[in-house]
Amino acid sequence: MQEVILEVEGVSKSFPGVKALDQVSFDLRKGEVHALVGENGAGKSTLMKILSGVHQPDEGVIRFKGREVRFHDSTQARDAGIGIIYQELNLIPHLSVAANIFIGREPLTRLSTLNEKKMNEEAVAVLGRLNLRIDPTITLNRLPIAKQQMVEIAKSLSFDSEVLIMDEPTSALTESEIDELFTVIHTLRDRGVAIIYISHRLEELKHIVDRISIFRDGRSVSTDAYASITMDTIVNRMVGRTLEQKFPTRHNVPTEEKILEVRNIVRRGVLHDISFDLYRGEILGFAGLMGAGRSELARAIFGADPIDSGAVVMNGKKLAVLSPSESIRAGIAYLSENRKQEGLAVRMQLAENVTLANTGGVSSRLGVISRRRELKACQRYVEELAIRTPSLVQVVNNLSGGNQQKVVVAKWLFCDSKILIFDEPTRGIDVGTKFAIYELIERLAREGVGIIMISSELPEILGMTDRVIVLHEGSLEATLVTKNTTQEEILNFAAGLGGAAGKPSHGLPRAAEERTQP
Amino acid sequence: MSDTHAPRKDLPGHDLAAAPGRSRMALDRFLTFGAVVVLFAVFSITAKNFFTMRNILSLALQTSTTTLMGIGVTFTIITAGIDLSIGSVVALTGTVAVMAAIAGVPIWISWLVGLAVGMVCGLANGLLITRLKLPPFIATLGMTFVVRGVALTITNANARPAPDAFGALGNNTIFRTGNQFPGISYPVIIMILVAVLFHFVLRRTRVGRYTYAVGSNEEAARLSGIKVSRIKIINYIICATLAGLVGVILASRMVTSQPNSAIGYELNAIASAVIGGTSLMGGVGTVGGTVIGSFIIGILTVGLTMQGTNYFMQQIVIGLVVLGAVAFDQLRNK
Repeated sequence: MQEVILEVEGVSKSFPGVKALDQVSFDLRKGEVHALVGENGAGKSTLMKILSGVHQPDEGVIRFKGREVRFHDSTQARDAGIGIIYQELNLIPHLSVAANIFIGREPLTRLSTLNEKKMNEEAVAVLGRLNLRIDPTITLNRLPIAKQQMVEIAKSLSFDSEVLIMDEPTSALTESEIDELFTVIHTLRDRGVAIIYISHRLEELKHIVDRISIFRDGRSVSTDAYASITMDTIVNRMVGRTLEQKFPTRHNVPTEEKILEVRNIVRRGVLHDISFDLYRGEILGFAGLMGAGRSELARAIFGADPIDSGAVVMNGKKLAVLSPSESIRAGIAYLSENRKQEGLAVRMQLAENVTLANTGGVSSRLGVISRRRELKACQRYVEELAIRTPSLVQVVNNLSGGNQQKVVVAKWLFCDSKILIFDEPTRGIDVGTKFAIYELIERLAREGVGIIMISSELPEILGMTDRVIVLHEGSLEATLVTKNTTQEEILNFAAGLGGAAGKPSHGLPRAAEERTQP
Repeated sequence: MSDTHAPRKDLPGHDLAAAPGRSRMALDRFLTFGAVVVLFAVFSITAKNFFTMRNILSLALQTSTTTLMGIGVTFTIITAGIDLSIGSVVALTGTVAVMAAIAGVPIWISWLVGLAVGMVCGLANGLLITRLKLPPFIATLGMTFVVRGVALTITNANARPAPDAFGALGNNTIFRTGNQFPGISYPVIIMILVAVLFHFVLRRTRVGRYTYAVGSNEEAARLSGIKVSRIKIINYIICATLAGLVGVILASRMVTSQPNSAIGYELNAIASAVIGGTSLMGGVGTVGGTVIGSFIIGILTVGLTMQGTNYFMQQIVIGLVVLGAVAFDQLRNK
């Protein structure tokens, strides 16, 4: 067994009103990848911030390489050899790769000018340790996100880090980029670096993880060898109860009534001649790999991005112009995967966000907003969707991810939307809240809304949709009836391999009599 | 119309309508307003004749121009923009209004001509920003030169006297009672009306709501069906039209057209907005804050002058107030 390099014993940390960590213990061995999982608010981030010197513990001991340490800021932790890679990269887009790696400690010439040559050489060496060939002189923002992340890892390594903390490193990466990242992680592990790996994507852990620690409500619940634990056990321990079902029982019945017809949408280089229908009460999935054009298709239908040709027909009427305001008027809503960037005015109040897309609904004819009507409308959705908030005028930024998602849903429900397009509705949302979001989607479909659900998680597609459209490089590869398909079949289409795993099951939404059969 | 705090009894689970966000803003307002009161008290003690009716009215008159321009520029700053051209717009609109009056246009129509010119300048700014996608700083910087150049060209850089009746807007007063009460100048009345009107527009109308939304998160606003370009154009028109109003008022007060006037006024207006809590990052700001901000500058200028502090020293003080106000805000928001 490898030696323990980092040991946490009985660490507690309180913030005003919350005990974020309660007597947590945890150990990390040299050359292992140690996953840390738990729902939002379980205490993972707080522990990471303590290990990297951002916060100081109220009580407890941290031993690093056998010596008790207490970091007062992140520089101290970094210099000692504990590096952290945040979800959002801390790099400067307009500087070169080498300049980013050595920022703040640039090698100088005797004249105290920047020694570019030495810096570039050292950058190549550092990148080489990760088996990466990246031109050190290239401007950072010309690299894809995955490569930028590698640069950040390289930067961290250049401080001779022996412990590397990675917080949701795959959240912005495509499938193939994730493979690259895993290769790098393996390289690091083989060099003896100890890695703490935080992720919401439980499925990906099996590729890299040696041990796994589960956190819940500020406590460390368990630590196990990954090989000796099942996914069900992990999930159960995370939520602290048995999740009987991951998905709600489905009662929505797709009708034969076409609510949306998408005809020959073309956006040059992005979407190639895509047509499909959506029925009232149906949940239609968009599957595909990253970059397949799922979000792009949704945005095109909604009018958020311009298209070169094609038409969107709603209830038999062709939309004259494709723009967000026209689509909203027609009853189409798009819930972006980037809630904070595209879905919410985060510095505005909950009530103001709920009415944002339909202020007309609470205004006089002269455009004067009635605060009374606004709060009343908002109150209804807070109750209906069980949004947890201290007040209706709470600034949205202070709500949790799941509740922010509900605010976005409330916004679109208040527009009386007939079609809701959910783009990765459960990304970054913890397991417990996910179920609530699924229930909500199912309920909306049951009430006769047409739902399009974009998801990268195939179990979610299989568990929640009636039919699924599979995209590959901007083309529609297949339209499948969910209950007749499998994860493998969808993946084959998504990879552009055609229906190699079985015959494609083109078809209409399942008819009512089909559903009654076992 | 003041239904903000009234609705609680109508709502089930009414505790949710309680307003931490609002009370925080009320506190901010209280603090800046407190600064005005303190300044007033200090100068009343240290400067002779400061706390007299005549002086207070003249202070309000002097401050009205900065306040009106500040209210306008607050709208553009809330959308995360800026309007640097308003000083030039003041000069051009005043000039054109006077020329119209000289040409024989009825006086009150010549005033409206000035406003219309302001409106056109605002439209130009708005189009440059939304159609050519120029950053607001650049678009309005360019317009600063263009507009000033037009004002100088059409007058050949000469000041011209306006017909006497043109002076009514800037010099007349109401509520004058013989020698006891000097009366309130029209510009002060206009300032009050404009402040009330635009406070209402910003806090209670859809245009106001969208102004905050665009400044807070432009993409989210667009995806919520808000016509972002239209909102921006409206904001630049509001801003430049208020500058046009100031142009007409100033030309009227001097009863001349002054193509070289109002240089640097835009900076006072922006300073008022900033002191009043408007964030250059967008999404934050109020009309009330800007009014208080411009009065802080006004009281400082008048008070320091009456104390005998020289002009150069006044500049330093005002600069420090701007820096202090924003620094204070940053520290409190930590």
